[in-house]
Amino acid sequence: MKTMNWEESVETLKKIREDGYRKSHEVIAIWIDCLSHFTHKLGDDAWVIYEQVAIAALDCGRDDIAEVQCIRKLRHRFSSSQRVRRLEGMYYESKRKFEEAREIYDKILKADETDLMTRKRKIAILKAQHQSSEAIKELNKHLLHFQSDYDSWMELCDLYLSEQDYAKAAFCMEELLLSNPHNHLYYQKYAEIKYTQGTADNLHIARSYFAQAIKINPNNMRALYGLYLTTNTLATSTKPKEKKEHTKMLKTMSWASDQIRKKVKSTPLPVNDNLIDATDYLFESLKIA
Amino acid sequence: MAELLLDSQIRIWVFLPIVVITFLVGVIRHYVTILMSSEKSVDLRQIGDSQVFLRSRALRENGKYLPKVAFLMRKGFMNNQEKGVLTTGKKREPTSAKNPMTDPSMMTDMLKGNMTNVLPMILIGGWINWAFSGFLTTKAPFPLTLRFKPMLQRGIELGSLDASWVSSASWYFLNVFGLRSVYTLVLGQDNAADQTRAMQDQMTGQAMGVPSDPSKAFKAEWEALEVTEHEWALEDVESSLVK
Repeated sequence: MKTMNWEESVETLKKIREDGYRKSHEVIAIWIDCLSHFTHKLGDDAWVIYEQVAIAALDCGRDDIAEVQCIRKLRHRFSSSQRVRRLEGMYYESKRKFEEAREIYDKILKADETDLMTRKRKIAILKAQHQSSEAIKELNKHLLHFQSDYDSWMELCDLYLSEQDYAKAAFCMEELLLSNPHNHLYYQKYAEIKYTQGTADNLHIARSYFAQAIKINPNNMRALYGLYLTTNTLATSTKPKEKKEHTKMLKTMSWASDQIRKKVKSTPLPVNDNLIDATDYLFESLKIA
Repeated sequence: MAELLLDSQIRIWVFLPIVVITFLVGVIRHYVTILMSSEKSVDLRQIGDSQVFLRSRALRENGKYLPKVAFLMRKGFMNNQEKGVLTTGKKREPTSAKNPMTDPSMMTDMLKGNMTNVLPMILIGGWINWAFSGFLTTKAPFPLTLRFKPMLQRGIELGSLDASWVSSASWYFLNVFGLRSVYTLVLGQDNAADQTRAMQDQMTGQAMGVPSDPSKAFKAEWEALEVTEHEWALEDVESSLVK
């Protein structure tokens, strides 16, 4: 990465901050290379940047930067701020002193029970302690009050998946689909969950949602493979009398495999013959007798 | 028409003072707003209510992308005859509705908003009008059409005057609206000195807030969801792919 001048780094940090990217390493690099030498020039923007850098530093395990260079200054300036208290809590979390962190968060929540970030931090502690079932319980309580907090739905979905509770994970994915029905990854993930559940009804649903994901983004290889596998399973399991259904599945299946072959051959990467062979071999081995 | 010449004293005693005064008022307003701003406190239930509305709206608009079972399950959760979230919200006592006139914290908020936004504008504007009235301050370096006269020559009613001359009162208003980038330079981003921003906040603020009478809003949402039928958008998606 090229070294940036002072203004560029402030701009970059601002962009990262406002768009909500998690580019912690980049933030830290900018801070060390440039901004830490110019803190006096930042004016009132400095405080937001301190907070941003502190969180990024904790994310990268650079506790020294977080505590010495940022949190200490923030605490000095805003001695009674809940936001700074929360940063301290996160610092304890990174030191794996979960009890201290939880104490801080509880105090913050006592003062203001609507503090969304702090509520989420408390659940994050549970997750860090590998108490999935506890985390799920807390997250459910949280979602009762904040029903349109879609990040939490996403988190809950992953937790259920790690517990292999697919029906509930599917429910969470449905919420995310409601939040944004134009995101092909949501469709793909939902279809994958349904495919994993694996009854005939679920497979039919999975097939539709894989297809929708491909419709939105024709380059979604994972969805193409998913569609192929789903239709393959469905075609083998349909009863002989449902002739029409069977041919439909076969048609979709061959379409998906054609698409995959075409996509693999037209990759802009230097075409690897082994890859093409491997795809051919894969389809050969999956072929229905 | 004979060329008009301005006394150079006007520059020192009218033109520059107006710029300085407008600028300083903006700076003072910035700090006063910071001093007086109070954290908006919302209780958990209000947030919960507004989130229920958001979710119900999402269900109405995007429900067609879910399988029918999933849609009906959610509709039941919202609109179930006995336990639905919206149904119980509908029957809630309307006493919790807040009247801005009786709620003291809302009153002070409104007062503070007026104190920092409207009052200075009237006072300073009035004072400038009174103290610096009747001067021509500057001239735009290009010709303008007659339509610009009421905008640029407030306080000077001369039919024969060239439209590119700017009167003192208009110069003040130009400053009020034109100093925004100077404020960003001096006070940093997101400052409170700019009046146009305050006006925008007032416009959008109403749409965001929690409705004043929850039970009515619940009823409207309940009805809207009740008439929503499920029509699966993904019926036969493959046929559009596989030709």
